[in-house]
Amino acid sequence: MNKTAISILSLISIFFSIICSSLFADKSDDTLVIAFKREITNLDYHYGTKTEYLILADMIDDSLFYVENDNLSYVPSLASDYKVVNDVTLDVNLKKGVKFHDGAEMTADDVVYTYNFIIKNDKNRRHTKLASWLKNIEKTGPYSVRFNLKEPYANLYNDLYRIKIRKNGIMGTEGNWDDNAQANSLIGVGPYKVVSFDPGVEVVLERNEEYFEGPKGKPAIKNMIVRSIPDMGTQQAELMSGGIHWMYNVKKDVGESMAKNDRINYQLGPSLRIGFLVLDAAGFTGEGHPITDVRVRRALNHAINRESIAKNLIGGPANVVHTACNPVVFGCFQDVTKYEYNPEKAIALLTEAGYPSGFELELWSYRDKEAAQAIVSDLGKVGIKVNLKHGKLAGLNKARKERKIRAYFGTWGSSASPDTATISNIHWRDPSKGDRNLSGDPKVNELMIGAERTLNIDERKKLYAEGLKLIADQAYWVPLWSYSEGVLSSQDIVFNQDADGYPRVWGISWR
Amino acid sequence: MLKFISGRFVVVIAVALTLSFITFFLLNVAIDPAQAVAGEEAEALEIEQVRQQYGFDRPILIRYFEWFKAVLTGDLGISYYWNKPVGSLLLERAPETITLALMSVLVTIFIAIPLGICAAINPNSVIDRMCLGVAVSFQAIPNFWLGLVMIIIFSVTFPIFPVSGDKTYFHFILPSIVLGASSVPPVMRLMRTGLLDVMEADYIRTARSNGFFGRKLILNHAMRNALLPVVSVLAVQLGHKFGGSVITESVFSINGLGRLALESILGADIPTVQILVFVFAFTFLILNLLADILNAYLDPRLR
Repeated sequence: MNKTAISILSLISIFFSIICSSLFADKSDDTLVIAFKREITNLDYHYGTKTEYLILADMIDDSLFYVENDNLSYVPSLASDYKVVNDVTLDVNLKKGVKFHDGAEMTADDVVYTYNFIIKNDKNRRHTKLASWLKNIEKTGPYSVRFNLKEPYANLYNDLYRIKIRKNGIMGTEGNWDDNAQANSLIGVGPYKVVSFDPGVEVVLERNEEYFEGPKGKPAIKNMIVRSIPDMGTQQAELMSGGIHWMYNVKKDVGESMAKNDRINYQLGPSLRIGFLVLDAAGFTGEGHPITDVRVRRALNHAINRESIAKNLIGGPANVVHTACNPVVFGCFQDVTKYEYNPEKAIALLTEAGYPSGFELELWSYRDKEAAQAIVSDLGKVGIKVNLKHGKLAGLNKARKERKIRAYFGTWGSSASPDTATISNIHWRDPSKGDRNLSGDPKVNELMIGAERTLNIDERKKLYAEGLKLIADQAYWVPLWSYSEGVLSSQDIVFNQDADGYPRVWGISWR
Repeated sequence: MLKFISGRFVVVIAVALTLSFITFFLLNVAIDPAQAVAGEEAEALEIEQVRQQYGFDRPILIRYFEWFKAVLTGDLGISYYWNKPVGSLLLERAPETITLALMSVLVTIFIAIPLGICAAINPNSVIDRMCLGVAVSFQAIPNFWLGLVMIIIFSVTFPIFPVSGDKTYFHFILPSIVLGASSVPPVMRLMRTGLLDVMEADYIRTARSNGFFGRKLILNHAMRNALLPVVSVLAVQLGHKFGGSVITESVFSINGLGRLALESILGADIPTVQILVFVFAFTFLILNLLADILNAYLDPRLR
């Protein structure tokens, strides 16, 4: 392109930049624009399970408890304090002076209404989970409530964090619930108010100046726009052109490449997500396969160079894990059998088990194809010929439900829940109630699920320790690594990544 | 002619219905719709709740016929993903896709017709080959790649156009170029061939003998007849644009039917996917039918 053409294009671009500048929001009008890959189709978190819904809900809503980012523990939020009366009774006192976005004060009536609305309305996405442990909720005073549990349930704080408080009567009345009442405009108590919502396109928020002194803190930025941009390449272009200030779920290679731009900052922080191989030790897919032999499963643990894959493919703070949980969460006992990378030992174990030439294995996976291929390569070096079946998660889930999966590469993010219960609840259920527990060992189920059936912290720790030791000894899983969370942001903003990788975007400030 | 049209219309309905059943069957067999609706990390209890709530535990055939019966009475169902009637969802999203489709066809016309004419008046020359090369390049480049390249050049390096969104007509310019480019070769080739054929016709020879040459001859005499087959191909291309805007709408974050289709497939939103497949297929088939009718009208041997 010659100089004249460049000059003409530059002039045109300056002209249109002036026109387009009105389309961009920035520091000058105190407006932060962030992008999500997945669409927000409903403002009400009680009707969605995606992480994006939780992030939005934490901006516009609030709950009795909250996950504190420094220590990764549940702390009171709308609750002022609480008392565990016994294993099935929890008393909660509420903060006074908390205002809904319409100015009404939040009281015990709103809290009781919210929980009743969920346990009495089976169309609500949180209904089955909450109704599985909550018998009822009582108002014990204008600012206090009592939770009566059906049975002891240790991970109840996770649910008390996920249930967002609704104003009394706003979702209708029993028998006449209005599930869409808060779908398009929402009156919450969170740090931001909803100004407008275009489903699947954007949510425009404005700081709630009446926000109470809670653990989230008051937002530094006045206006926030949450845009849905499904294509990551488009998000990058928007970031480069100033259309957005923040995006997440960025892969290492993309982040490092984008960071070469002076105006863009790339952060690769920790995440609660871990990767693991689940092995059909019980022989659900057919008896007699080598994988039902503990020596073979141990050989698999020794055969994969997890440190190298974590360091080179995932990067950042990603690290090897030896347990069926992320070491940073509550109850994730670490003094378990550790299988170092040792291909010779793997071959010796395979020979001892009667497979000196290895065997064939079908491995399913649905994300991180590069990591899956690295695993395949490592297993191949000890003679295990892996046929990798990489596809969509929904297909993997269906095949597992039909007991057609002998081994799969899974990951679990725990959705900002810092408790071993969140990963163990779904993976170590009784096989008749869930299809992810392929161990065939009732003791694992007894210990790992048993740890949820008491509110006694020491007892929980003891049960998890025994359960995790058993899982490691029997090599029911091949725990792989913890993940990293990549974030790209404009140099204009300051965003701090927390130990759980959950993006607390309401804490962003201008540089 | 009436027999021909009614016969083709029956085929159109049969094809659309077959497609709808295949889609329904595949969506239920290939994935677990309850897991897809509940979300990647939904807990087992939440998944089971969704399965019962949406009736995924019932036989596929029964669910399909229930859906079909409801559609016949005008009830298009409720979207699982958007939690609103599919009909209103389609009406909300259709204007963006129609705008994009029409603008992209205009782009095709503006690029393909001049290239076709240029190639026809210089047959088998270097110019002819260059015109064909340009046209084929447009078709060979994948939409998503061309879209990202256009964004990098015209939105990031030279910030002339917005990167994404659909707030103004200005937002539609880049996506229209991307979507329109892929239709350039068939239209260009047809324009070239049509014009070359017409130029050999007797009436053109007569026009020449009456002193008509160059631009005047092509625009006033040859173009009118050469454009007839091009119009029927453009109708088919318009059908392609309605159903083929999935990638372009996703890259440019245009909230149209294409992006809705992608989101619905990924979210196993069966009621929305069903209707969209039917709408896309029906639009495409109707436009094909119109092209066939036009051709049959022009050439009685085809009836």
